[in-house]
Amino acid sequence: MAETDGIPVLQIAGLHKSFGANEVLSGISLTVRRGETVAVVGPSGSGKTTLLRCINFLVPYDRGEVRVDGELIGYREAPSGRKMQSDRELSRMRQRIGMVFQRFALFPHKTVIENLTEGQVQVLARTRGAAEELALRVLESVGLADKASCYPAELSGGQQQRVGIARALCMEPILLLFDEATSALDPELVGEVLAVMRKLADEDRTMVVVTHELRFAREAADRIVFMEGGRIHADLPTEQFFTAPPSPRIAAFLEASLGK
Amino acid sequence: MIEFAIQYLPLYLQGALVGLGLTAAAMAGALVIGVLVAIGRLSSNPVLKYLTLAYVAVFRAVPPLVLLYIVYFGIPAWAMASESPALIALFSPLDNRFIAATLALAVNAGAYVAEIIRASILSLPADQMEAARSIGMTYPKAMRRIILPQAFRIAFPPLCSEFIIILKGTSLASVIGVTELMRNAQMIASSTFRNLDAYVLAALVYVVLVIVLQFITVKIEARMNRAMGIRSGR
Repeated sequence: MAETDGIPVLQIAGLHKSFGANEVLSGISLTVRRGETVAVVGPSGSGKTTLLRCINFLVPYDRGEVRVDGELIGYREAPSGRKMQSDRELSRMRQRIGMVFQRFALFPHKTVIENLTEGQVQVLARTRGAAEELALRVLESVGLADKASCYPAELSGGQQQRVGIARALCMEPILLLFDEATSALDPELVGEVLAVMRKLADEDRTMVVVTHELRFAREAADRIVFMEGGRIHADLPTEQFFTAPPSPRIAAFLEASLGK
Repeated sequence: MIEFAIQYLPLYLQGALVGLGLTAAAMAGALVIGVLVAIGRLSSNPVLKYLTLAYVAVFRAVPPLVLLYIVYFGIPAWAMASESPALIALFSPLDNRFIAATLALAVNAGAYVAEIIRASILSLPADQMEAARSIGMTYPKAMRRIILPQAFRIAFPPLCSEFIIILKGTSLASVIGVTELMRNAQMIASSTFRNLDAYVLAALVYVVLVIVLQFITVKIEARMNRAMGIRSGR
């Protein structure tokens, strides 16, 4: 388990989000400190993915606030009330928040190495040489050094997702978001991706992991957040969550998800 | 027919070359218009959105022949009548038949190209834009670096069809005296009185041109797919 030094990287307070009349997030508050891995679990439709997408403002939230490294994301405080951040301001915030997508979302027209250098060169204005150096090192760490010149279509799903993780890491983010990173994979490919994620958790990266893999959550996460109906129903240290489920509903969820 | 063909083929080929030149110029214009209009159509800015929607609605509706008359006969005459030196200078290039034809065909095809490109952008998985934004790209940069290059690969086959439609549309430019394939066929027909031969030969040249174009575009498409690691056609 990670050593946390207590500095909050992510602070969410009173977060609300509706799609039309359908309220998906009904007052979420959550703090993630540096080095922590927090797994967000819960049944489908509980708002987990929407919560994750509000953190980097891919989904604009309605009320409440999301702060990353102390800075409010998505809105600018103004005397007349808050205004949506400009495209440029928002992009600057997102540089520091890595995201791994359910369906990988690699750029199919670019090779693996180009996928990893694109953001470094285009967004962080690194030189191509420096970008490739880091990209190769990160690629090595996810075990794909030999695939640098492949196109995504030439890789297995598990390899593509490891490239997806590497792409996020190349931006050297202070916070990593995983959106059901293994749920689009064939069962035999899940392990290689979870192994990379576990390694990142062990390196004390700050991570928010939306997942259906409860065994992984139990092994890698410091804390478990249980969501249902757009609310957080439990936010507990991992062991406590699994050994002493705080409610019969959660106990039933665990039983159904873990089998037996 | 054979001697006729041998005798006049050079004139037909000359006309075909002019037609191809006109097509290439009009297609280039249509692509510029198409990309800008498609991006406008997808914009959240209501002014841009409805302005570009109006463009598509109007220029898909006006027949290219009518547009050709407006551009070549209508606008320069109106500029002259206005007696404004600025307007006359602005529209004087339209006195050139080739430029007028290029503009009319590009404006017409631009409306179709815009729809092709818009549909191609919309056919991309939504997570492509999200992934680009998640690594901190601004919207214009994500469009330029991630979305449009992929959209063009999807748009390529329908854009090739559009190219062929423009090529055949260049025959309309004969009515304003552009000496393309159809115009040359008309002149040969009226000087030899062999109408059937003259126009059948024109038809044959169009057919050969289009078959060659199709052959080239299939090759280009296969090469683009290979460049993305896609082995067989899809």
